[in-house]
Amino acid sequence: MLDALRYEWTRLWTLRSTYWLIGIGLLCALAIPLITGIAAGDQTLDTFFTAVLLNGGAMFGLPFLAVFMGIIGIFSTGHEYRHGTIQPTLTSLPQRSRLIAAKILVMSGVTVAVTVLSLVLNAAVMLAFWGEIQGLFEDPLLPSLIGYVLYVLIYMLVGQGLGLLFRGVPSALVVIFLMPLILETAIAGLAFIPALDWLEPAVKFLPFNAGSRLMILDLSDAEDLGGDMLSRWEGGAVFALFAAIIMAAAWTLFKKRDA
Amino acid sequence: MITARGLHKRYKKTVAVNELSFDVRPGVVTGFLGPNGSGKSTTMRLMLGLDHGGGETLFDGTKFGDIRRPMNDVGTLLEAKPFHPTRSARNHLRMLASANRIPTSRIDEVMEYVGLATVKRKKPKGYSLGMAQRLGLAQALLGDPGILLLDEPTNGLDPHGIHWMRDILKRLAYEGRTIFVSSHLLSEMQLMADELVVIGKGNMIFNGDVDTFVREFTQTTVIVRSPAAEAFTPVLEREGATVTTGAKGELIVADLKIDLVGHLAFNEGIELRELSEHSASLEDAFMSATGSSEEFVAIDPEKTAAPAAPAAQAAQPAQDGTDNA
Repeated sequence: MLDALRYEWTRLWTLRSTYWLIGIGLLCALAIPLITGIAAGDQTLDTFFTAVLLNGGAMFGLPFLAVFMGIIGIFSTGHEYRHGTIQPTLTSLPQRSRLIAAKILVMSGVTVAVTVLSLVLNAAVMLAFWGEIQGLFEDPLLPSLIGYVLYVLIYMLVGQGLGLLFRGVPSALVVIFLMPLILETAIAGLAFIPALDWLEPAVKFLPFNAGSRLMILDLSDAEDLGGDMLSRWEGGAVFALFAAIIMAAAWTLFKKRDA
Repeated sequence: MITARGLHKRYKKTVAVNELSFDVRPGVVTGFLGPNGSGKSTTMRLMLGLDHGGGETLFDGTKFGDIRRPMNDVGTLLEAKPFHPTRSARNHLRMLASANRIPTSRIDEVMEYVGLATVKRKKPKGYSLGMAQRLGLAQALLGDPGILLLDEPTNGLDPHGIHWMRDILKRLAYEGRTIFVSSHLLSEMQLMADELVVIGKGNMIFNGDVDTFVREFTQTTVIVRSPAAEAFTPVLEREGATVTTGAKGELIVADLKIDLVGHLAFNEGIELRELSEHSASLEDAFMSATGSSEEFVAIDPEKTAAPAAPAAQAAQPAQDGTDNA
């Protein structure tokens, strides 16, 4: 297993795109507290805006880091097929399950590390402008930030699974962006039409929608949004289950298919 | 030593590889021959567990999937450009080396060996096919393995490169390594290989040494040119010969020795203008052995007119007439 981990680590860090994508992701997230600090550095921050500045606006939609780490996740598996490197990979490391396990472990570790680094950098900028961050290690900010890290991690794993499932990059990119940004939004919107209100119970289980509950600050708003919304960890579990199903299908097919 | 037994692969209704069994001995270069689409690459992928199918291949007694750090035992080159276009050649090898505990110093060594030392930090997207093949060979040699499996390694190489590759493979075999190299170029195999595994449509056609292959699949014919060819034909056929007429009216006599043909001509008082023997080359032997097993057969240009041919054909007699005049 150590050989596989070493391989995946070297594979990841010998690609220039890894540095670019992580760098752009960090900068995009960093831009939020930086711009806010320049524009409104003299104003007091409430808990909601503290969370927004720390996670780079993740709660407004799709987190910047999730997008970029998702792409790196897709590359980690899809690139092997796109560029035909799966052959040298499997002739240097023929144990397929070990290879996938190593890809998941290395990419998960890097994703968590990069997301935490992003939080630290954003916090440093906030400290520079506001001098303090109130309630950082307290409820509800801390669980929301932990949920943010988990959301980015699960999003990356979905990307990794899709890249392996589709054995390529373009299809996986389409799905990972189309689903949360268009498909789920459309389904949630259609549920408001009286004739389609039977969709409503399913909306809370839409995986990316459910996953976004991980980052939410005030869970009491769930009541207003349609009754029984999922709790933070229930939402996270639905999103994680979605990622697990994709990864399990991809892993099984990877073992069965010709390389 | 490679031992392949009962290799089998089916794609829906098509049998790509049909129960192939053969041994590849160390110390010699074993050529793996077959027309395009005959199943050479699929066989190699089956051997390495890249494709799923029937049968078993052992590399010095062990299945490929069971070898820990396989690059140290089996080196492979299967595709012409299996590299990420923006990862430098050196980093590509570093990545593979990291999975097999191969020291970094070995990477520079093999890059030097294949003549890519000056471009080792360049991205392979700028490599020519020949350079990519050299990088592929460097990849195969990275772990200094005792067994090499190379799929069409001379594709894209210039004549100097082909010569270089041939010398390297012969030298590696001389060192006692097991070399299994596929090609569809007969002339190349004639110069490179000691042993042959020949397949067509996934079926074994021949497995043995090159000389036996030529002997088994070539027919020596006698060429006879004579103004009395028509009268001589029944005489030859009476003696059991198979006679066909060539493009220039010459008789092509099979199943009869040249001495006997000469003797018959002398007895019958037939004037001869040519009496010679024609032995087929390895290429002819290959065509003879695999001719009926080609997967994809193009239209023979000699038998078919091109779209613009009517005009060309119309002009042809005049042209011929001018030439003859």
